[in-house]
Amino acid sequence: MVPSYPRARDRRVTPAARTTALTLAATLAVTLTGCQGAALSDDDGPAAAGGPVRIGVVVPLTGPVSQVGTALRNGLELAVKKVNAEGGVHGRPVEYVVVDDAGDPANSTQLARRLVRQDKVTMLFGTITGDTAEAVGRVADEAHVPFGTAILGDTEHCFAYQWGFGESTRQMLTPTVPGLVAKYGKKVALVGSDYNYPRFYAGVAKELVKQAGGTVVAEEYSPLGQTDWQPVIGRLKSAGPDSVLSMVVGADAVTFSKQAQQFGLLTPELGYEGAPLDADFQPALGALVAGRTHTVRWSDQVDDAESRAFAKDYRDAHQWKAPIPEVAGNAYFGVKFFLAAAEKAGSGDPQAVNKAIGGLTLDSPLGKGTRFEPSNHVFQADMREVTIGRDGAYTVTRTHPMVADTTPKKGCA
Amino acid sequence: MDVLLAIVGQFGLYGLLTVGIAVIFAATRVVNLAQGDLAMVGAYVAATATTAPFGVRTLLALAVGAPLLLIIERLLLRRPGSDGLAAMLVTWGLGMALRQGAELLYTGTSRTVAVPVDGTLDVLGTPYPAYRLVCALTAITVIGLVLLAAHRTDWGLRLRAVADNPAMAALLGTDPRRMRATAFTIGGLLAVLAGALYSPVLAVNPSMGFGLLVPVFFGLLLSRPGALATAAGAALLISALSVLLRTWLSDTLAEALFYAVVVAIAALRSRPWIGRFSAWFRRTPAPATAA
Repeated sequence: MVPSYPRARDRRVTPAARTTALTLAATLAVTLTGCQGAALSDDDGPAAAGGPVRIGVVVPLTGPVSQVGTALRNGLELAVKKVNAEGGVHGRPVEYVVVDDAGDPANSTQLARRLVRQDKVTMLFGTITGDTAEAVGRVADEAHVPFGTAILGDTEHCFAYQWGFGESTRQMLTPTVPGLVAKYGKKVALVGSDYNYPRFYAGVAKELVKQAGGTVVAEEYSPLGQTDWQPVIGRLKSAGPDSVLSMVVGADAVTFSKQAQQFGLLTPELGYEGAPLDADFQPALGALVAGRTHTVRWSDQVDDAESRAFAKDYRDAHQWKAPIPEVAGNAYFGVKFFLAAAEKAGSGDPQAVNKAIGGLTLDSPLGKGTRFEPSNHVFQADMREVTIGRDGAYTVTRTHPMVADTTPKKGCA
Repeated sequence: MDVLLAIVGQFGLYGLLTVGIAVIFAATRVVNLAQGDLAMVGAYVAATATTAPFGVRTLLALAVGAPLLLIIERLLLRRPGSDGLAAMLVTWGLGMALRQGAELLYTGTSRTVAVPVDGTLDVLGTPYPAYRLVCALTAITVIGLVLLAAHRTDWGLRLRAVADNPAMAALLGTDPRRMRATAFTIGGLLAVLAGALYSPVLAVNPSMGFGLLVPVFFGLLLSRPGALATAAGAALLISALSVLLRTWLSDTLAEALFYAVVVAIAALRSRPWIGRFSAWFRRTPAPATAA
């Protein structure tokens, strides 16, 4: 290299040579970046080489949704432990790498990329909020690595490599709304935190209320972090609803429910369903939600040997006394579904696993013959009506077998 | 009536916090960015010491808060006190430490505090939760006492003197360091009290205080340094504005408009002609006419 230096310096660069060089550089750059996705998926990770099957777990372990993120990770851990105890995936052990995205989509993207490139994971799992799920979904699609989520509700975009184990909005509301209208009355009010998802939820709710013969009498949204709900509650009250569907989330779910009770809106005569009834808020709301029914995919009281064993393990491992968050159960059975698909695929190649996930039908405590609907990637499974006890137990009082949601979404193929 | 009660209820919370932050600002020229998180501390005391009756818990919060605040002032704020920006950053860090500490101790899950006074009262024909009324009246009484202290006691006089001209006040025999310590403690205690009082109405979680900072900061922005009555007035204005907008409009629109109006008021206030106009109102002879 050293001798060539002076000569190179002497030589004049002609405009033509410069153009050629530039074109070359540009072509090279395009080829390099263009190849990136292919290079990643062609790369045979340790999985294909007979090493362990590796799951990349992106969850918020710090920040405002860390509680839910930790529950998801706990559920996943127990699932991996179980699968390993039963001999792993075609004889190979299952490993997982946990990274903390703190609920920030910018982190999620970076971390998911790192898991795919450096840790060469066969599958990704995790995320709590919709924006982080979308961030990881994009990375998964680029890299052709399957990605599973466990949180309830739909993601706005469907990705070919993203699969959600949480119930979709339609699966939540289809069995709920007719029951509410029949039990409490025709007038339904909707209230939500002010971002995309509660509005989507309200859209589906409106459709189903109409089908059930009811009317939506009020629709209110308030910014996240609202401390004073009096004006909203006042407007809701003046509409005189028979029941309220609430997609007020996070700490606001607690504030809203409390203030709704204090201002005399939330009485036992009023139907109340939605996010505030989730097991996460039960310790805070207690008596306010006791006796009410709630529609969920999984509760720790599901009467099934495998489910009960999981609930027991969870309680023992984490000294858990409160109801186990639903997301932990969804993650547990979701990861088992993913690993069953990997077993069926017969190789650790992420693309083959993804194909197997799309085609797999599995009996589990979540339902008989659970599978993914190809047109929207919604997990087709049972839904349960639970009644919340005074002691905080979410006792299953009714099972709705295989609640279908086949409304197509763009981008799944 | 409904709206009026809502304004009073909101004012109790914002007023305590704003007057507190104004007391601290008057003596130290530091915007205490941990004010909301101090309220969170108060709320957590009310939420965790559930064996004691609510009133006792509130007093306990204050009793725990006072030495804590003094120590914080001694250790963290005494040195950077000369530089306002550095001290402000210290309070920012303090707030962060309090939030993280609460998350470590109590996790991020929200808690609730049982309402100590049940039932509703009829206020001129409008039913209103009794506790909210108790809460608002207590807050207003405390704000009144603080204002009274600022205008009728020696301490208040000194506080106002330090706010007006710290160097001159120091020359005339006011120990600025002692003044800063007491002001920080009193201002912080007002926040702790606000948190404890309003805990049954809110969800108690580590980030609860952070959200309160914005309206309180606006309140400080609209008040005159050292004049605590203007801080209370600004808090009232902000509560009224927020409640009225949210009564007339949807919450989303109301919030956007609220910020627009507050920023507009702040921008207008800094215009010189407004100053002249208000000076004319106060009938202070302008320098030009004196000649």
